[in-house]
Amino acid sequence: MTAEALPLRSRDELRAARRARHRRVSFIAHVILVIASIAMLYPLLWMLSASFRPQNEIFSTGSLIPSSVTLDSYVRGWNELQVSFARFFSNSLVLSLTCVLGNLVACSITAFAFARLKFAGKSFWFALMLGTLMLPYQVTLIPQYVLFLHLGWVNTYLPLVVPKFLAVDSFFIFLMVQFFRGIPRELDEAAYMDGCSTFTIYWRIMLPLSLPVLTTAAIFTFIFTWDDFFGPLIYLNQMQNYTVTLALRSFVDSSAESDWGGLFAMSILSLVPIFLIFLFFQRFLIEGIATTGMKR
Amino acid sequence: MTVRPLGVEADAPTAGRTVTTSGWSRFWRKNGTGYAFLSPWLLGFFGLTIGPALISLYLSFTDFNLLQAPTLVGDANYVRIFTADPKFLQALRVTFFFVVFSVPAKLVFALLVALLLNRGLRGLPIYRAIFYLPSLLGASVAIAVLWRQLFAGDGLINKLLALIGITGPSWISNPRYALWTLVLLSVWQFGSPMIIFLAGLRQIPQDMYEAASIDGASRWRMFRSITLPLLTPVIFFNAVIQTIDAFKSFTPAFIISSGTGNPINSTLFYTLYLYQEAFGYFRMGYASALAWILLIIIAAFTGLSFLSSRFWVHYDS
Amino acid sequence: MSLRFDRRQFLLGSTALAAAGAVGLKPAFADDTNLRQIFWGSKARADRTTGVNDLFTKANPSDKIATEFYAWNDYWPKLATMTGGGNAPDIIQMDYRYIVEYANRQAIAPLDAFVGKELDLHDFDQDQVDGGKVGGKLYGVSLGANSVALIVNTAAFKEAGVPVPDNNTTFDDLIAAGAAFNKVGKMKVIQDASGVEPALENWLRQRGKALYTADGKLAFDAGDMTEWLNLWKKMRDAGICVSPDDQALDTGPLDQTMVVLGKAAITFANSNQLVAFQALMKDPVTITAFPRTAKGSKGGHYRKPSMFWSIAGQSKLGSDSAKYLSYFVNNIDANKVLGVERGIPASASVRTAIAPGLSAQDQVALNFVSNLGDLLGPIPPPPPSNAGEIDIDLMLKKSQEVAFGQQSPEDAGPDFIKQANDILARKG
Repeated sequence: MTAEALPLRSRDELRAARRARHRRVSFIAHVILVIASIAMLYPLLWMLSASFRPQNEIFSTGSLIPSSVTLDSYVRGWNELQVSFARFFSNSLVLSLTCVLGNLVACSITAFAFARLKFAGKSFWFALMLGTLMLPYQVTLIPQYVLFLHLGWVNTYLPLVVPKFLAVDSFFIFLMVQFFRGIPRELDEAAYMDGCSTFTIYWRIMLPLSLPVLTTAAIFTFIFTWDDFFGPLIYLNQMQNYTVTLALRSFVDSSAESDWGGLFAMSILSLVPIFLIFLFFQRFLIEGIATTGMKR
Repeated sequence: MTVRPLGVEADAPTAGRTVTTSGWSRFWRKNGTGYAFLSPWLLGFFGLTIGPALISLYLSFTDFNLLQAPTLVGDANYVRIFTADPKFLQALRVTFFFVVFSVPAKLVFALLVALLLNRGLRGLPIYRAIFYLPSLLGASVAIAVLWRQLFAGDGLINKLLALIGITGPSWISNPRYALWTLVLLSVWQFGSPMIIFLAGLRQIPQDMYEAASIDGASRWRMFRSITLPLLTPVIFFNAVIQTIDAFKSFTPAFIISSGTGNPINSTLFYTLYLYQEAFGYFRMGYASALAWILLIIIAAFTGLSFLSSRFWVHYDS
Repeated sequence: MSLRFDRRQFLLGSTALAAAGAVGLKPAFADDTNLRQIFWGSKARADRTTGVNDLFTKANPSDKIATEFYAWNDYWPKLATMTGGGNAPDIIQMDYRYIVEYANRQAIAPLDAFVGKELDLHDFDQDQVDGGKVGGKLYGVSLGANSVALIVNTAAFKEAGVPVPDNNTTFDDLIAAGAAFNKVGKMKVIQDASGVEPALENWLRQRGKALYTADGKLAFDAGDMTEWLNLWKKMRDAGICVSPDDQALDTGPLDQTMVVLGKAAITFANSNQLVAFQALMKDPVTITAFPRTAKGSKGGHYRKPSMFWSIAGQSKLGSDSAKYLSYFVNNIDANKVLGVERGIPASASVRTAIAPGLSAQDQVALNFVSNLGDLLGPIPPPPPSNAGEIDIDLMLKKSQEVAFGQQSPEDAGPDFIKQANDILARKG
């Protein structure tokens, strides 16, 4: 890059000017962001306040500040369903982490094949892979259920986890392909010259340079798995295996008595882990970010 | 696994080994690595996706009520869909409307906020988390309650509008406006494309901007000539994914209308209609036909997007 | 290369297995030592049910029960999936809307063979026994009777200075109350029930008609429908019932009904939902009969089974399941735990035994169902198999179209009949 050829002084001046401009625009940006944040958060704030209200007040008022604050919903909700929420949380955690592992391994291998390797029929398989994205789940639901039933996997986590290790989430394959394509081929070629195997290229070059997309995939997988209720609904029969999201659905029955306070309280609690995961991982997005290999 | 660059023909055989010149062996040497890497996906694809999908294709030509064996009815389902089903047309109308309005809005917001957040502002992690929070709620039943609180006749939005003198209708329960509240719900959850845009922005090397600003380029010029072109793979990705997701969108309509698609079918998303047919009325054969039609629509749309991508998506490699 | 063959075999294999599963062949590893049970409801019901299950296991140590429960909306897809996969639990909670469907497809088993042996129904109310019959055979044991009822906000009526409606109140009385309510200005008298099928049924029955004939056809005509829609249009225009925007907020769940939202003082519901409604509201509520069409018009109500226990068609544990069913509906201690949460017990001796232990509101519900007097008519035949679609879909939409002004009652009547007949004629 030509920047290195210029005298240092000009670069400093430019930086200073840029910083001043930056500060002005920053202020405006902050204002916009704060207003937008409130708009984004309002519904959640409402739910937070509802979780501290007594049951029969939840729907009567629209204001944010509850007239009487009680922890009743939290206490009740925690042990509401014969199994304590601690168990549901740990179930969700284990399931989500395993799915993250599955997706990261399987999708990155597949994406590497599509983005970097040459083989016959590649476009055909790629088109099919994209095609699976478009399949509504109702299409494959019943046949898949019967298949898992005959494999004896119903009432276990296997139907929810094994597909991840078989790269069933085309979304992540596609995402990684787009990112891998942005990494220059020269790096691969240089490595080949040095005698590296394909696997080493994948493991030592591609993966480290893809930390942003891998982090993104990890965050998303965790959250999608955490929030998914339909899979657990269909495949889990015993309450002690339920995930948090599935357990939450038992709080509310449209035809009879429901525990709205408990639902809101446990929903707020269930947001906490995924929010924390997100906060923690997003730091990797900022700091651990490798450049795309341009800087040597 | 062989240790040689791909696409290169086999070397002369080493001592003691005879060369097998069968087509199969050559095929394997040329494509083996590729297929080895692809094998988990292939297994999943055939076992979990294509198998079940083909079964559902078969089912689309049957009457199948889930409780008894399917009975073949030829193309009766498809004929009914295309000639005698007003709900099908309504579902298409609602879904197209939703796609056309929610996807661009979502992408624009996601990109704008990502650009804002990418400036290295203080408090960036907090803002980013805040904007992502709504997406974390997923399919929570709580969302339906929240949306109702906001958009009912006496909800918060109308209270705010009243402050500036507008009397709003009951947005969420009026057939003219209900669908808009669902568009808004989708846009509200723009966190996912935003994160992807952020990751994409982060991949653009900083020294490109430095070089450009030294050359005297304005911010707008830099955006147009550096950011936008280099971001096109990510924009393309987000556009395709969000469109497919919008066509398949189910949960917002399901939880807000309690699965009814009301008022007066104004929120009858295609997949909601499908769900009603499959699990509400046990017409799995008909639902399978509906599902395949949706698949074809989405495939056509995606295919067109890919064709158009040659003209505007810029890959580095 | 072995991979290729494995794939093809896998594909063929999974197709064959799936097809076999669709035909309902039972896989090898079904549970045959425990009873499996499934029902809908929320925690309140679950607690009572597991309480009974514990008592049952204590009395029958070799019988264990594994239970699962889901919210109403999730229950039916889950049950359908399990049944379609050949994996349905032995003891299934069944609803009036689906019992015909499930019975006709042999997804639930006839229970006649068990009656008088494992299954003791000797002091059951006859109408509760009949309510579980499809095609003359018994497919479900009633878990409690309920009847349709209005949920009434008594505080609102007091505030308006109007006497709280009772079993003799007519539509005209409600219309007359409109003036007082609109003066108070807080809420309307009543919800817009033009799309509520039980309300229509009750109204038709009072005029000597019905929803469906015994052979599954519509038992009313376009004129009736138009008159019904006009009745509500009149009330809407006069401000007696809520506006269409407000009514459309009610998409089904209790917390969205007009009385809970404070938009009306009366909502159409079921007698066993009184407690659930009260839990959601600050104002006191009570129940009363659906409005009469005129003074002295009778026969609108009937006592229907609120829900049933059925036994899965594929179950290998029919006899043990029947034993459990019998215990559930007859054992006094069990019913003390159950109370009237699912409905009023169908066995006379059980009713007498638990009545003293009930809460005041439960007593109200019990008294209401037991003392319908001339409001009570015979139970109608089970609805035809596509009736569910007319109930939850067509009626609601038609009423909304008229309410929002998209169609006049005069056009809507014949249109409804035509669409209803199309639905009834539809196979598959």
